[in-house]
Amino acid sequence: MSESQVALTQESLDGARGAGAGTHVPAPVSRKARRPRASWRERLEITLLAGPAIVVFVAFVIVPVVMAVYYGFYRWTGDGPPTDWVGLQNYKLIFQDPVFFSAVKHSFAIVGLSLVIQGPLAVGLALLLNRKIRGRSIIRVLVFAPWVVSEVVAGMGWNEMLQADGALNHMLTGLHIFGTVSIDWIGDSHVAIWTLMMVLTWKYLGFAIILMMAGLQNIPEELFEAARVDGASYWQAQRYVTVPLLGPTIRIWAFLSIIGSLQLFDLVWVIWGSTSSQVAGTSTMAMYMRDNGLGSGTWGYGSAVAVVLFGISLVVAVAYQRFVLRRDLSGAITEGA
Amino acid sequence: MSLISRKVRRAATAVGAVSLLLSAAACSNNNSSDAHTLTMWTNVSPGPGLDYLNNTIKTFESQHSGYTIKLKTMADTDLDGALQTAMQGGASTAPDIYLQRGGGKLKAQVQAGQVADISGSLSAQAKQDIVASSYGPEQVDGKTYAVPVAIQPGGFFYSKNLFKQAGITSVPTTVAQLEAADAKLKGKGITPIAVGAKDGWPAAHWYYWFALRDCSQGVLNSTAQSLKFTDACWTKAGDDLKAFIATNPWEKGYIGIGQQGAGSSAALMANHKASMELMGGWDPGVIAGLTPNKKPLPDLSFFPMVQVPGGKGSPTATMGGVDAYSCSKWAPSVCTDFLNLLATTAQQTAYSKAFQTVPANTQSQKTVTDPLLKAETASVAKAPYVSFWLDSLYGQNVGTALNTSVVNLFTGKGTVADIISTVNAAGAKG
Repeated sequence: MSESQVALTQESLDGARGAGAGTHVPAPVSRKARRPRASWRERLEITLLAGPAIVVFVAFVIVPVVMAVYYGFYRWTGDGPPTDWVGLQNYKLIFQDPVFFSAVKHSFAIVGLSLVIQGPLAVGLALLLNRKIRGRSIIRVLVFAPWVVSEVVAGMGWNEMLQADGALNHMLTGLHIFGTVSIDWIGDSHVAIWTLMMVLTWKYLGFAIILMMAGLQNIPEELFEAARVDGASYWQAQRYVTVPLLGPTIRIWAFLSIIGSLQLFDLVWVIWGSTSSQVAGTSTMAMYMRDNGLGSGTWGYGSAVAVVLFGISLVVAVAYQRFVLRRDLSGAITEGA
Repeated sequence: MSLISRKVRRAATAVGAVSLLLSAAACSNNNSSDAHTLTMWTNVSPGPGLDYLNNTIKTFESQHSGYTIKLKTMADTDLDGALQTAMQGGASTAPDIYLQRGGGKLKAQVQAGQVADISGSLSAQAKQDIVASSYGPEQVDGKTYAVPVAIQPGGFFYSKNLFKQAGITSVPTTVAQLEAADAKLKGKGITPIAVGAKDGWPAAHWYYWFALRDCSQGVLNSTAQSLKFTDACWTKAGDDLKAFIATNPWEKGYIGIGQQGAGSSAALMANHKASMELMGGWDPGVIAGLTPNKKPLPDLSFFPMVQVPGGKGSPTATMGGVDAYSCSKWAPSVCTDFLNLLATTAQQTAYSKAFQTVPANTQSQKTVTDPLLKAETASVAKAPYVSFWLDSLYGQNVGTALNTSVVNLFTGKGTVADIISTVNAAGAKG
């Protein structure tokens, strides 16, 4: 039972008791309800239970964000304290750097392509796997397995397979359909972004499918029965019952996918690395930040990049919550906004 | 509230209290060194190299009664970050002795007042017997901050068997001869040159080498101050490299191939799938770890960077890295005794054997017997000057910018002018 429910019940009981005794005195309208004061014991408990989490959050989230803003105003190599104040010069350099805009462009392309490719695939496969078919459990495990594999391990495996004389080209050649296949999956800038999307879809589709399947479980069977009685075909039932009722799940998945795509680093880093990703057109915002901070020893500039990326991610996340997730989160984080 | 939930709450409260105390304790300093205990940080992994260092420490401790050195080794990729953080903490966290990268990194440490000036404490042997040019990367404004223990000259590491197979009877000494050798190798279906362009710097090294031949020593050094590629030699180096790239001597799919590890350019060398690699002195060790039997490649040999027509640099100058050690500003004065010990002939001979490197000590160089090391040593002996790797000399940010622009030149996506403008822009960032 929640705290508010307890309070309500107590109030009802008091009201009933008062009315029965004929001694109920209505409280003044303007008087605010006063919360009972927490005892020292409760305060201690709150402090000890929330303390570690607050310390960790402040130390590893709040302080670094504030420090990044501070360092971003300096030209600083990380040796000794920052002393060379440059104001907004680092930010000016960021917005003059075509490599930064390439990275931003790639990140947003990955966001869009992930939604367009993985979304329909996930819904379709979830519908398929939700039906009673032979080997359904094994297929579910196989689809979900890549999501469990660590990004670095997956990246190293794909890197080996995608080499010019790697397993993928050998396999395609072995099919005897395309002749001798010698595609430069990693280096060819016309191919590389699609290679990345292939790997990302393989890696993260399983998670999307699991979410969709969980969403499907929540749709009452009676609605499909009613649709069938009304003469709806299977596809009409999916179009007018499943998809609308799966909406909240799709919107939450899309939110997670957008955030994940904006933060994408490890798979690209392992398969392409810093230099090749820029040459092949798969560099991301997170990689630009790494290259220009840790990778270049220019900590002031790198911090400014981190602040810009923080801003971009924040704007996207807040806008999405405000305009897309609002209906799903109504009464939770959007209340009073 | 039930008994169970009360118990759970008490337990959770206790866990919370302990966590709070631990998080507070984590902020405290755990450095236990004192004036008689020196700390030493390096990147040596277990093996002959670590054995050598432990023996050297024992020698030092026997010569300095009451002093001990605590050695801390870490992965090469972790060392710079850990060192930078420790130095920020000053005397309480900084190591006393540490591996010095030299060049731009040393300059930053000097500006931050973190490294000891040892100019006045160097022993006579350290001054006389160590190759003078190896001190170059370890000096700032004429003051010395580190003692070199080894030189790792770069050049071509090649397979004698594959050269023989292609009918190449003598190693190339000019670009034209190198191109002719590449053509012969290609004619036999052998990849002439392996390059780990995925990592960026192995491709950028090609530009550095052409710059070494095209730019005078004066220009190389003055650029370290200005960080501007304004001299015409930088453009000529780019043009020469572009012309060489056009002959396409590289392995297929080099953009996706790194320098080290499985499937790398070094692995191609180790498995006789490529005949040459233009690389630093560490390459034989890397290749040895990738051969089928994990032993040194028996037919691996070395020749210096070829000559480039019309260049203003010395045709026999070489480029490479220097292994060196520094004392931090907060180290006790006996720290320089340890550095002087590292400079002695006996120590440098032992270091050379343990790490398979060219000693910085000229007396120790005479004791080198390994044929590959002898060839590398000869290239140093013939060189009028040894330039430090340009990315280390000019700083990390310039190096990172060069990596991408040179790889773009390799793939035809970028131009020589892009290299120049990218470097000039990188200088503004830090």
